This record gives sequence, C-alpha cells and structure tokens, in this order.
Amino acid sequence: MTPARLSDAQLVRRCRAGDPEAWNELVERFSRYVYAICVHGFRLREHDAEDVFQDVFTRVYERLGSLRDAAAVRPWIAQLTRRLCLDKLAAGGREEAVEEVRPPELEGSLDEIDEAFAVREALAQLPEPCREVLDRFFAHDESYRTIGAALDLPAGTIASRISRCLRRLREVLEGRNEPGSRSS
Amino acid sequence: MPVSPSGYLDLRLRELLDRLAGETAAPGGGSAAALTVTAAAALVRMVGRRSRGSWAEAAGVAAQAKALQDRAEPLAEADAEAWAAALEALAVVVEGERDEELETKLARSAEVPLAIAETAADVASLAALAAELGEGTFRGDAAAAAVLAHAGARAAAHLVAINLGIGEDDERLRRARLAEEAAAADAARALGAGP
Repeated sequence: MTPARLSDAQLVRRCRAGDPEAWNELVERFSRYVYAICVHGFRLREHDAEDVFQDVFTRVYERLGSLRDAAAVRPWIAQLTRRLCLDKLAAGGREEAVEEVRPPELEGSLDEIDEAFAVREALAQLPEPCREVLDRFFAHDESYRTIGAALDLPAGTIASRISRCLRRLREVLEGRNEPGSRSS
Repeated sequence: MPVSPSGYLDLRLRELLDRLAGETAAPGGGSAAALTVTAAAALVRMVGRRSRGSWAEAAGVAAQAKALQDRAEPLAEADAEAWAAALEALAVVVEGERDEELETKLARSAEVPLAIAETAADVASLAALAAELGEGTFRGDAAAAAVLAHAGARAAAHLVAINLGIGEDDERLRRARLAEEAAAADAARALGAGP
C-alpha cells in the first residue's frame, strides 16, 4: 500500500521502521495542519511560523518512538505545535500576545482547524465524482445548472447527488471517530 | 432617510419593512426578492431538518439549503448598493451621453438580480425535492418555499430585463429567463407533489 493510503497509525509504524517514503508522507500529511495552527491559531508571523514548523518536524522525527498510541499522532503533533508556538511568542517578548490569543478565541480557532482538516481528510476518501460535486457547490458556490453543465448531468439531479455525497462524507467522518479507527 | 444598505438582516422586521416602504429608491424590489429567496431557503432548511427521521437525504438537503441561504442573504444589501449607485450615476448623466462609469454601474445593477434569480432557481429545485420526498407534515412548507423562490426568480429576472444596460440578446437576460423558467417548473412540481 502506498504511504498516502495508510491510516495515521500505519504511517507511524512505517516511520518507526525507518521507511523514508513514510516520513515524506507524514510531513506532507501534517504540514498544512501545523502551519494552520501557527498562522491561524497563534497568528505567528511568517518567519516565526517557519521556525516553529521546522522545530515541530525535527522533534517529531526525534520523538516519534516515544509516542505511546500511534493512532494519536495528530493530537500529539497539535500539542507539540501549540507548545512551540507559545515558546516562540514568549521568546519574542510577546507574552502579552500569548495571553491575548489564549482561550476562548484560541481554543475556538484550534477546534475549527481540527474540524477543517478532519473534513478535508474525509473528503479525500470519497470517490472523485463526489469530491468534485461537493467542491463545486460548497467551495465555489456554483449553481446546480452550472454544475450540471460542467459534469454533463441534468441540473435537476444535482441536489440529490450532493445529498448522497454528503451522506457518504458523514459516514467517513463518523467511522473516523469510532474507537480504534484512524485518529483525529 | 439616506440609503444605508448595510445590515438589513440585523434589523428588526418592522424596521426593515419601513425601509422598504420608505421614500428612498433602495432597498427596492431586488432586495425584497433576495430576502424572499432567503426566507424560502430557510424554509427548505427547516423541512430538511424535520425530515431526517424518514428521509435519508434530508440532512444533505438541509445543508444545501443553508448554503443557498448564505448565498442569498448578502444579495439583499448588494442589490440596494448597486441600485443606489446606478441611480446616482443616472442622475448626473448628460442626456444623450453614456459614459463608461455609468455602463459599469448599470451592469452591476443587472448582475445582482441575475445572481438572485439563479440562487432562487436552486432554492426552488431543492424545495421541489423536499416537497416530493420530505416528511409529509412539512411538504406544504416545502411547496410554499418553492413558490416563494419562484416569485423571487421572476421578480429578479424582470429587474434584469428592464435594466437600461441590457439588450434583448444579452447573455445575462438569457440566463435570468432560464432561471425563472426553471423555478416556475420546480414550483409547479412542488405544488403537484401532494400532501
């Protein structure tokens, strides 16, 4: 199985076994997540976010062996990123900023980031036609007529199609949150 | 009262109606059409939410209705702004002359009702689906939503048609009419769906 199709837990096991492709996938899978926490959660400046980004993945590389639950890699990386963001703010003499971004605003932002990434991952598991129709309607605000014309489908069937795809998305998300499934 | 198009949806309903009834030109028919379409989308959302126990696609219909409601809401303010700007430009134009700025403002004042008409067509389509397959008790609400959406589409298409910047062969007019026709068909379908 290619690393891109592995669950988080399987990916961690392959990294621990020293598979370089798995490491590349791990960085690819979590890089946007880490960056989003830095920039949108803690509002770090770009160069500070890049520093934290490097530190996070250096530590992940050094400490992945100490992670007890391989399926919990995402919350572990999130916690590591938050701690390093706070260190960065404190080191820059921005203790006030640390206080400013702390709960509830920060928690709300981090929850939204987690939710957005969960949906993004779930979308990636849907068949391409579903991904496309959801993307066109919800992300690009296209009308049923426009979507129907682009996909060569009757406009009157698009709403039902979107509903069925949303149901599949929900099933993926619910499966993802069940015990023993791919971690959030 | 000067035109203040911001925050219509934050106004109390009575105050909003007073603004519509006021002597200023905006908000006018386009804003009223957008608000009607918004209300229709909200009704479909309700039908979707109340049909989850009996209809597998109901949650997806509610989610789409929410997205359409979010699209329609800002069009009420956008139409008032565009219409006010077009009127202002028309007031100072020298008879027999058309300048680029005026053309731009007229075009904008046609594009917003076109967006209202096309959003209304989608709301009518979703409402017809809910009228056919939603929970029986609420199918009447879905049919009402389809009729309201059609009314919004028809009003908005008319505003596109009478816009001074639009000719009979204009693509925007063709799209507005298509949207109105689709909404009419969906409203008829919804009304024929039965209880």
